[in-house]
Amino acid sequence: MNIQEVRVTNKFSLPDPRGEEILYEIKNALGINSVQEVRTTRVYRFEGISEDNALYLAKNLLAEEIFQICQVNAPVITGADVWLEVAYQPGVMNPEVASIIKSVKDLGIEDLLAADSSKEYFFWGQDISVDEIKLITDKLLVNATVERVVTVKPETLLISGQPGTTGTIAVRKMNDQELMQLSKDNLFLNLEEMRVIQNYFISIDRDPTDCEIETIAQTWSEHCGHKTFRAKLMVDGKEKKPLLKRLQEATIEAGHPLVLSAFVDNSGVMRFYEGQAICGKVETHNSPSAIEPYGGAMTGSGGVFRDVMGTGQGAKVIASTDMFCFAPPDMPAEVIPAGCLHPHYLLRRVVAGVRDYGNRMGIPTNNGSVHFHPDFRAKPTVIVGAYGLLPAERCQKASPQAGDVALVLGGRTGRDGIHGATFSSAEMTDMTITVNSSAVQIGHAIEEKRTSDAILEASQEGLIRAITDCGAGGYGSALGEMGEKIGVKVFLDRVPLKYPGLNPWEIWLSESQERMVLAVAPENMDRVMAICRNYNVEATAIAEFTGDGRLLVTYNGENVCDLDMEFLHNGLPQRVMQAAWVKEDYEEPQSPDIVFDSAAAGCGEVVNLSNVREKIYQAVMSHLNVCSKEPIVRVYDHGVQGSSVLPPFTGIFQDGPNDATIISPLLDKPYGAIISHGLNPVLNKIHPYHGSLWAAVEAVSNAVAAGANPEDLTLIDNFIWPFPDEESLGALDMSVDACVDFVKVTGMPFISGKDSLSSTYRGKDGTVLKIPPVLCVSVFGRIADVQKTVSSDFKYTGSQIVLLGERRICEMAGSVYYDLAGYTGSNLPKINLEKVNKVFHVLHRAISGGAVPACHDISEGGLAAALAEMCFGGNVGAEISIPAGENPEYFLYNETAGCFMVEIPDGMDAAELFAGIPYYVIGKTVEKLSVEILYEGRELFDVSLSSLKAAWQQPMKGVFRQ
Amino acid sequence: MKPRVCILRTDGTNCDLETYHAFEITGANCRLVHVNQLRNGEQSLSEYQILAVPGGFSYGDDIHSGKVLAVELTSFLKEQMLQFINSDKLILGICNGFQVLVRTGLLPFKNLGNIDAALMENDSGRFECRWVNMGIEKTKCVFTEGMEGKVVNLPAAHGEGKFFSDIDKLKIIESNRQVVFRYVQEAGAVTADYPANPNGSLNSIAGICDDTGRILGLMPHPERFVKLTQHPNWRRLKKGEADGLAIFHNAVKYFQAN
Repeated sequence: MNIQEVRVTNKFSLPDPRGEEILYEIKNALGINSVQEVRTTRVYRFEGISEDNALYLAKNLLAEEIFQICQVNAPVITGADVWLEVAYQPGVMNPEVASIIKSVKDLGIEDLLAADSSKEYFFWGQDISVDEIKLITDKLLVNATVERVVTVKPETLLISGQPGTTGTIAVRKMNDQELMQLSKDNLFLNLEEMRVIQNYFISIDRDPTDCEIETIAQTWSEHCGHKTFRAKLMVDGKEKKPLLKRLQEATIEAGHPLVLSAFVDNSGVMRFYEGQAICGKVETHNSPSAIEPYGGAMTGSGGVFRDVMGTGQGAKVIASTDMFCFAPPDMPAEVIPAGCLHPHYLLRRVVAGVRDYGNRMGIPTNNGSVHFHPDFRAKPTVIVGAYGLLPAERCQKASPQAGDVALVLGGRTGRDGIHGATFSSAEMTDMTITVNSSAVQIGHAIEEKRTSDAILEASQEGLIRAITDCGAGGYGSALGEMGEKIGVKVFLDRVPLKYPGLNPWEIWLSESQERMVLAVAPENMDRVMAICRNYNVEATAIAEFTGDGRLLVTYNGENVCDLDMEFLHNGLPQRVMQAAWVKEDYEEPQSPDIVFDSAAAGCGEVVNLSNVREKIYQAVMSHLNVCSKEPIVRVYDHGVQGSSVLPPFTGIFQDGPNDATIISPLLDKPYGAIISHGLNPVLNKIHPYHGSLWAAVEAVSNAVAAGANPEDLTLIDNFIWPFPDEESLGALDMSVDACVDFVKVTGMPFISGKDSLSSTYRGKDGTVLKIPPVLCVSVFGRIADVQKTVSSDFKYTGSQIVLLGERRICEMAGSVYYDLAGYTGSNLPKINLEKVNKVFHVLHRAISGGAVPACHDISEGGLAAALAEMCFGGNVGAEISIPAGENPEYFLYNETAGCFMVEIPDGMDAAELFAGIPYYVIGKTVEKLSVEILYEGRELFDVSLSSLKAAWQQPMKGVFRQ
Repeated sequence: MKPRVCILRTDGTNCDLETYHAFEITGANCRLVHVNQLRNGEQSLSEYQILAVPGGFSYGDDIHSGKVLAVELTSFLKEQMLQFINSDKLILGICNGFQVLVRTGLLPFKNLGNIDAALMENDSGRFECRWVNMGIEKTKCVFTEGMEGKVVNLPAAHGEGKFFSDIDKLKIIESNRQVVFRYVQEAGAVTADYPANPNGSLNSIAGICDDTGRILGLMPHPERFVKLTQHPNWRRLKKGEADGLAIFHNAVKYFQAN
């Protein structure tokens, strides 16, 4: 079949921003200077139409004459020194194709069979070498997991395939070695679990189908089964309750009156106002993001949005958050382990993925953070959260009834995402990127948006009995769980496919994105189908709930899976796991008078810090874990839905960072929903218990600093941990204990959570890299009146600046200041929860009483960083005194969580306002645009705001071309 | 009389509810209408006085921003659209809606099916979400009546907002006084500098109307600033009314006065 090609590019007199972006990366990320200019074209291919029609499309759809030029079946750019074309791999869904086909039909061209699009890149430069082009191609233009360089014009765009088949696997006769061979690479189960499967099939006297084996493997995967969190733990030889149970029991004991649903649904739900509820879920997407950061981050966002959409009987997504951990973007390429992508690329592509999914869904991405540590070089941590709004009366799912229909909505099923659940439960190796490429896919936000629109309408009309998302494990997981108590019969041949040729087990377990499953009573089917039609959402009845307690999956009349639900969901043996944390000693400096020898001090030589205090302040501000992340925030639409009440940045120049975000999801009401989070990988590494307390306290401090009432907050946990060997599990045990203690003292319950225990890398040369353990605590809650909240920017000159909270400032381990001096340290901040809890309540009273024009929580970079950020926002200076006898550096740079910098009006009595908690008036805001530090009655140093701000803004401006 | 507003939705529309809210609080009677409902006859534009095409990513902004929806409107709803614009009614396109109006040819010259201007990719090559100042010019635009000379502060959030046309057409747009909004510095001086002009628009154009002043398209989002607490700095501002509100008010008033 003839294929027509249309090429489109901007007129040469006009800029090509995409080409300029690539040129910037070629020069800055790759250090290649031979390329002088880059331009790009779009290539569209059409199968089945005439050349005349292709010309018509070129003029009326693809190219806009006012600024573009085009050619049919001919190049549109000639004379470049090098050029190449990049397309998606066959079978990877190109999100644009459906729109192209729609427009072609809307323009009256009926004979189109298939279409595709791709990009061409043209390079000019005198001495561009073959090696340089290869580097540019591999590092910037093509991620071989999903893309390829096109070398010959395709003969057809149609993907064909034979109808799938089902195989049988003779597990009954296998010995241990054969069982483990079967498990390796695909199932990721241990020998004991493989034997349980073997025994089950021996007991029912037949061998399993491939579909059955795969179904069991994904249901029992760490990702879906949370085996470690449910395991019986032996900690230092003593038995302790399973981790999950401890967290759940702490929540039950807290008995928080606002909690509507905890740990049972796709997200946790708490009461809002006027019959409404808010819900929250935070997910990780580390493994896919490590190998295809753009697609991985997109599908991470898409997945967590679907979790919220599938909460109760359907929720509206109202906010999105993103927390990342990477190695430093300027890390030399040679220290990146084999099979791992460079952090500069990862960071930019993950941000682009979050941007393109959230923005297109119309969901504000308005809270997040980025942390850097060299130990993330083998695998990043990518955490994405979503929050939703739903009527409280519809926040519980009903159970599917016998005779109900299982309706699948949204995207079609393809071979993408096969083995995602099992893959994300596995460690990363240098082979991961090639072997598991089918586990990664590109998201299609618009598919999910229209599906969400349809679901919300069906939900409002009360047509949904139960709903869940298709995430890890695909239909197998969604229908397996939905039908757990009742039984379900599935007709796999009815599933709409992207292309033919899938085997039944692939259809069953594919993790193709943007699919939701609804249980609908038969009498409501017509109406639900009509709603879906109106929103252009494909909906198909693929199963019936039966009442027989079996999972029966058929394909063209043949049974491909016939399992007892009881065995599937409860047959997994409880693991008994050993845990023993081993304390590692990180060196502390000999004396508080650290001698800096780092370039961080800007001197290039060994110096005593007393001479370079200004430089050190600037170095702290430009530390990757302190510096402004504004260039990232500005590519996310954080104002969509019109709900923003406290955005990520405020102040005179809108560049002062806030601690939390507040949205007002009911546009005509004064109510707020607040979202914040906390994490600190380095502190977790030094001491999992104290590091985890820090994370929880930091998360809540962020919310309280903006005006939240600690009584109105709930929590979400995310444990991103190395593979749970004895030592890592010991650390995890301590981290969970910290969470439980936090709940006990503060009464704030965890109502949702997730563990991801595969952050270990094994290279073929035997290298083992454990990624730092991360506990990310997310906080969400309600605010009765958004008028009683504050931002972090100083509002006035002449105000008092007050430090709140208890600090032992010599506890400097894990701080940015130590890091700049080349130390990690062991003496980390140890937080007294009782005292911190009191600070929360007193501070909240002060803010809601209107006494506090600005407040900022102290975290990385310490008091000094918080102070500078408040000054940036207010465009005012500050003059502060360090108490006599205190070490000035420790005073400025200690990072104890649960401490705050507060602005109160001149003349207000701090003693009265903050009675009962540690407070200290450290200085005042001034007109002069500098931070002046006084010590023992004289000036220690004075540094201009402009130099601090420049240092603080520079690092991410560099990475993101600003 | 409360004017009836058709808030047009399709796959990927996402500022519809804010736009709905902005019109409702200024006294209009809104309905969310999917483009499919116009195509299948379930709804008709003739029943409405105002057509609002909200922001978002219609059909993913595939091919060009707003393009697929523009093709759909010009292919299937041409008659309805022509009838609508010829009957003293109002059309407002915000962000993606502006892109759609330009790509249907309705803006700048009501030349349905012919494209005389474009909203190109931002010069920065990125999506930009930031508040911008816009100066309001003296025009026939119904939506900005009484606002001439004022500077309004509104959020922009787009990746393809660079207003572009060729020199001759630009001259006509300017001499017809069809430029309603230009990016300005806080004090009001027109600027080409990033980020005050967030996308590199020619002549700093942020929004234009047709020659009757009844069709308006603009990139920034007035519907996101209809109450004070929506502004990032509401805690430090001394403002009486949110800057976006008057645009909706004027539209509603147009039908109440007539």
